[in-house]
Amino acid sequence: MAEATTQSQLTEEMEELSVSSPDSGASVLAEAVARVEGVTKVYGAGATKVTALDDVTVEFQRGQMTAIMGPSGSGKSTLLHCLAGLDTVTSGRIVVADADISTMSDKELTVLRRDRIGFVFQSFNLIPTLTAERNITLQRRLGRHGVDSDWFDKVVDILEIRERLDHRPSELSGGQQQRVAVARALISKPEMIIADEPTGNLDQASGREVLSFLRRAVNEYGQTVVIVTHDAAAASYADRVIFLADGQVVGELQHPTTAQIFERLQELEK
Amino acid sequence: MLALSLTRLIAQRFRLVSTSISVFIGIAFLAGSMVLIDTLGASFDELATDINEGVDVVVRSSELVESGFAQVRGQLDESVLATVEGIDGVAEAQPNIEGYAQLVDAQGEAVGNPGQGAPTIGVNWSDSDVLNQVTVAEGQAPRKPDEVVIDRYTAEANGFAVGDTVTVLLKVPPEEFTITGIGTFGESDSLMGASLVMFDFTTAQRVLGSPGMISSVSVAAVPGVSQEELRDRITAQLPIRTEALTGADSVAELQGDISEALSFFNTFMTIFALIALFVAAFIIYNTFSILVAQRTKETALLRALGAGRRQVIGSVLFEAVLMGIIASAAGIVAGIGVAELLKRLLGTVGLEIPGSNVVFEASTAYNALIAGVAITAVSAVIPALRASRTSPLAALREASVDDSALSRSRMVFGFLTLAVCGAMLMAGLFADISNRLMFVGLGAAGIFIGVAAWGPIVARPFARIVGAPLARLRGLPGELAQENGMRNPRRTATTAAALMIGVGLVSAISIFAASTTRTVDKIIDDTVVGDLVIESGSQGFGGLSPVLAEEVSALPEVALASGVRIALTEVDGEGQTLLAFETVDMGDLVDVGIVAGDPATLGVDGLAVLDTEAEDRGWALGSEVTLDFVQTGRQAFEVGLIYTEDALVGPMFISNDAYEANSTEIFDMSVYVLANDSYTTDQFRTAVEAAAAPYPNAEVMDLGELKASISAQVDQMLTLVYALLALAVIIALIGIANTIALSTVERTREIGLLRAVGMTRPQLRASVRWESFLIALLGTTMGLTLGLFFGWSMVEALRDEGITELAIPLPQIGVVAVLAAGAGVIASLRPAAKAARLPILDAVASG
Ligand SMILES: Nc1ncnc2c1ncn2[C@@H]1O[C@H](COP(=O)(O)OP(=O)(O)O)[C@@H](O)[C@H]1O
Ligand SMILES: [Mg+2]
Repeated sequence: MAEATTQSQLTEEMEELSVSSPDSGASVLAEAVARVEGVTKVYGAGATKVTALDDVTVEFQRGQMTAIMGPSGSGKSTLLHCLAGLDTVTSGRIVVADADISTMSDKELTVLRRDRIGFVFQSFNLIPTLTAERNITLQRRLGRHGVDSDWFDKVVDILEIRERLDHRPSELSGGQQQRVAVARALISKPEMIIADEPTGNLDQASGREVLSFLRRAVNEYGQTVVIVTHDAAAASYADRVIFLADGQVVGELQHPTTAQIFERLQELEK
Repeated sequence: MLALSLTRLIAQRFRLVSTSISVFIGIAFLAGSMVLIDTLGASFDELATDINEGVDVVVRSSELVESGFAQVRGQLDESVLATVEGIDGVAEAQPNIEGYAQLVDAQGEAVGNPGQGAPTIGVNWSDSDVLNQVTVAEGQAPRKPDEVVIDRYTAEANGFAVGDTVTVLLKVPPEEFTITGIGTFGESDSLMGASLVMFDFTTAQRVLGSPGMISSVSVAAVPGVSQEELRDRITAQLPIRTEALTGADSVAELQGDISEALSFFNTFMTIFALIALFVAAFIIYNTFSILVAQRTKETALLRALGAGRRQVIGSVLFEAVLMGIIASAAGIVAGIGVAELLKRLLGTVGLEIPGSNVVFEASTAYNALIAGVAITAVSAVIPALRASRTSPLAALREASVDDSALSRSRMVFGFLTLAVCGAMLMAGLFADISNRLMFVGLGAAGIFIGVAAWGPIVARPFARIVGAPLARLRGLPGELAQENGMRNPRRTATTAAALMIGVGLVSAISIFAASTTRTVDKIIDDTVVGDLVIESGSQGFGGLSPVLAEEVSALPEVALASGVRIALTEVDGEGQTLLAFETVDMGDLVDVGIVAGDPATLGVDGLAVLDTEAEDRGWALGSEVTLDFVQTGRQAFEVGLIYTEDALVGPMFISNDAYEANSTEIFDMSVYVLANDSYTTDQFRTAVEAAAAPYPNAEVMDLGELKASISAQVDQMLTLVYALLALAVIIALIGIANTIALSTVERTREIGLLRAVGMTRPQLRASVRWESFLIALLGTTMGLTLGLFFGWSMVEALRDEGITELAIPLPQIGVVAVLAAGAGVIASLRPAAKAARLPILDAVASG
């Protein structure tokens, strides 16, 4: 019973957030956290050559939630990986917080990922031997940085995982695991949280929950979020949706409705 | 199913290769020592045949006394030669004299070390073409009393040439000779590395034997008279205490002695090969356990598709057997190389083996193959059973939990094994039973297994406690190492157990050695009253000419000097090695705790006996005892002294007078010297050293130096044993590297994630390293604990044999611990580097 109530409340909250988003988007339009400039990413060579990103130029605004959509194989993950310093580009450049990451060494990229980026994968985001709490503080401790306990409390409360802090990943549900992953991404107040289909493995209710938390982070704390999702309804909570096809940016919607997104996706499928 | 095993074996060949290496190393060593033994055996057999070439009958004394490995045979009166020559059917007879002769090189150092290495032999030259197997390759045979021929190997190794003057150590004071010839033995330059000096007959009798005496007579038959026939004819004419045997029997006897000596060597080498294979068994068990666990889903699917339990067991065992065959076959081939290497090694320490080929018997191949395959298969049985218990539903579940830390059957098994094998060990050590060595070996092996069974139970708390400071000091990498160490307690513990064996044995041996050294120190402190000791280093073969003791004794700076000799006799028909002293003023040199009697009155027929020995034999002061000497036969002795301290002098001893009355082989093993108080220590020592200077095999030592030299000898033995045990440790380290590599493969995704969220490569490497460190530390801790226990029980068991002091060499043990734990870290370097190089995105995507 209690569960159901929470969920319906959440859904309402999400509607609200989505309505209020134009303002938050407008207030930070000026500054770009990350710029992708003419990036091309080619995998393999010769006959097996695949151009995953083809001269992509796009900016991500601070304090905005940007959703990236497109058919499977259109280069969404590749874009996120390059943006997060997990992969290198073939040409072009990527600037994150005024630093050109395309020229960084492995060591510099590692530190960037640790201190300035929060990454959430579709699944397997947690180290199985560590408790939820230790997973959340993982990045801080990797950098031997202290954990801001007020912020930690706030994050675990927002994500409603306080009860689960002592549990290991195997003792958590999929939704809880993703919430812990989001908490880990949030805890170091990164420049950007980058999430590749963070809800792809969850049922709809858990998925929406996770998204609503990300949305709250944007609204309440000015967090920048970039996510990939296949779910038009989920994407509608973003300030902006960027459409990719065959490694190219093929469109963009500002503050779209679910219906608009759906329509655009349908066009892309053709 | 078999096809599947094969496919897997090929797919996972890299994982299995590292496991196979452990079997490979063990088998290579096993096969290598078998080949070496066969090679040695064949060479010695050939040598025995060669040196008896042309000999149809050997005439020798029938008096033989044996004790332990030593044996002495009596001398013959030279008149036997004439008797033999006069017998019908004898074509030629050659007298043989054999004794101690040690060359001195240009630097004044004695050549060779008869106490430890190949013998230094002197013989008479014989002109017989038929009976003398030595050919003069350069120069000519010795014709004059001051001429000698030496073997080419010794000549070349020490830069001697024809025409050189050389000093030779003998039972008489050292003498100078001119080398007139260099000799060879058929194809070979050397008699297995022994040094050989050949004198003319009269000189040989004077410097090697005794006037009028010979060691034996070699006889050649006229054509048409068989060896047996001639032997019988000769036997009929021989005086008492003399025997004749055919050349063939003499060869067979020599070969029998050789193979007996070799079988001891064989046992020694085999023990170390078995230890190595025992460690390898842990590695195989562990690898198969990990592989079986990693394949749970695959196995479950097979089970769901209808594969029976037997088929699952069969497929795992088939894989193991196949691996065992491949690894053993490779090991056997490598064993030939190992034998070659060991052969060279023996060559460098003076045991030159003639012939360039190693002997590879078919039995080596199948014995080694059987051993390798059996070890592999047996080690895989439990993992195979475990695999067969996989439920078809396991395919649907997440990876299985390692709950072995809680397993009750494991605790019971461990406990029972410890109890039974502990009892076996104790029985082997302390009880009066046969096969003690086997009991000790099986007991110790079982204790290792029992402790290993308990390992997973302690692994988790160990990693938690020891890992805690690591996590605190090393941050997250330390914490992950701690968690990973606790994650699969069975894996951690089994890997550690392999190292435990090596560390346990090394520390036990070091305790044993330290206790021996300390006991010797205490004996010297307690019993030696003298100030200096002159040591020859000979263990009864040759030694110092007794003239040295006389010369030293005559020095004004010296109050007293007594030579110490070793005699072989039979007491009540049983071989007994006993010492002989200058007993007249004995009390001033050694304190043996006299209870009754007076050493000064022992004379030529007095026997000194340890109190407990006397009690056991029912002897008292004045009891009549018969001692049997090879030279003089049965002699009546009387118990003239009862003492309590046997550590230095053994259970019985006689006076040098009695020794001389019954032996022709008169050498001092060492000389104890007491200073004359009216001179300074320096004056005293200088005088003694000056007297000993002409004897290059004499080493003058004060008691401190004596202790140091004994402990150096113990250390030398220890080094050899360590070198052999290093094999077991290396295999264990391969095991650690293997486990870490397998674990890394299993955790690929996790590693990818860690790198994705910002773990640097050095941090990742550190985490792998620390995990390996924890495993190695666990193995070291368990090993040291067991080592302490084994060392202690060994010393306790040998208390009656004279090891009375228990010493625990903390610095050495500390070094062992640091090395073992450190080597564990080194073993992980490669897998750690590999883990750090994993491409992040591929790793995250795997799974
Ligand atoms: N490591 C890789 N090697 C080769 N091709 C790849 C690799 N990763 C992605 N690709 C290819 O690049 C294209 C884009 O992939 P991806 O970014 O994963 O698409 P999306 O996430 O939009 O489904 C696809 O054609 C994919 O097959
Ligand atoms: Mg994707």
